Amino acid sequence: MTVLFEGGARALLLVHAVLGFTAVFATTHHAVSAFLATRGRSVQRQLQRFGWMASASIVAQALFGLALYPVYRVRVRFADLERSAPAVVQLFDLKEHLSALALALVLGASFAGRALQPDAPAAESRAVAALSGCGAALVWAAALIGLYVTARHPVGTP
Amino acid sequence: MRELRAALWGVSAFSLGYLLPGTLRLPTLAYDPIARTVGFTAQVSGVAMRYYGDLLWACAAGLCAAAVVWTSRRPARPVAVLTGAALALVALDVAFYLSRLLAQV
Repeated sequence: MTVLFEGGARALLLVHAVLGFTAVFATTHHAVSAFLATRGRSVQRQLQRFGWMASASIVAQALFGLALYPVYRVRVRFADLERSAPAVVQLFDLKEHLSALALALVLGASFAGRALQPDAPAAESRAVAALSGCGAALVWAAALIGLYVTARHPVGTP
Repeated sequence: MRELRAALWGVSAFSLGYLLPGTLRLPTLAYDPIARTVGFTAQVSGVAMRYYGDLLWACAAGLCAAAVVWTSRRPARPVAVLTGAALALVALDVAFYLSRLLAQV
């Protein structure tokens, strides 16, 4: 019995990790730029550039994560963690949920930040900063939990 | 700014669309990675997983809400209220999933 994408799980995990780091840094830069916009700094180019990078990296990372999920589910979760470390299973479930919410926040912040004008009302720049900051915080949390679970039992290993 | 309002409504609807199908056990797409079958069901057991289906529900809700607001000609609500509502719904989701984790530990 083989699970979907099981043969290439290690390569998929590596790409997922690289895209994850890209998403962490791009969303952090976007959040910093959005906070600078609330202070009146002209950061439209940064918001556009990091907005594209954050959106592209988090969508690509999510797609690779979704591709890896069946292998994790069968070979890591049910074969090992449910017996040896049930708390880690719950932690990984939390990571999935945080990742999904981060996806919406980052895409929303990137879309809104792209159109933020230098003379925008303070409420609008603060709203973009709030979306972007919360998105970046969730991406950081998901990345750290993902690293911890991978350190316990990476997919692609017995 | 139309983009911001669409984004805030999209995030709000995504948060609700992500939370409700799982908690209310609504029918969703479920994938069984061993049998390699996809079904539309509310009862998911064994290794079958409903994560893809719940994510699809949430994406559909978020995109629909954003598209409706994008094309709407109704008077816009204050941005601060929309931002507070969107972040409160995200916080509700995070608190719910965090409580499930803490209940198990």
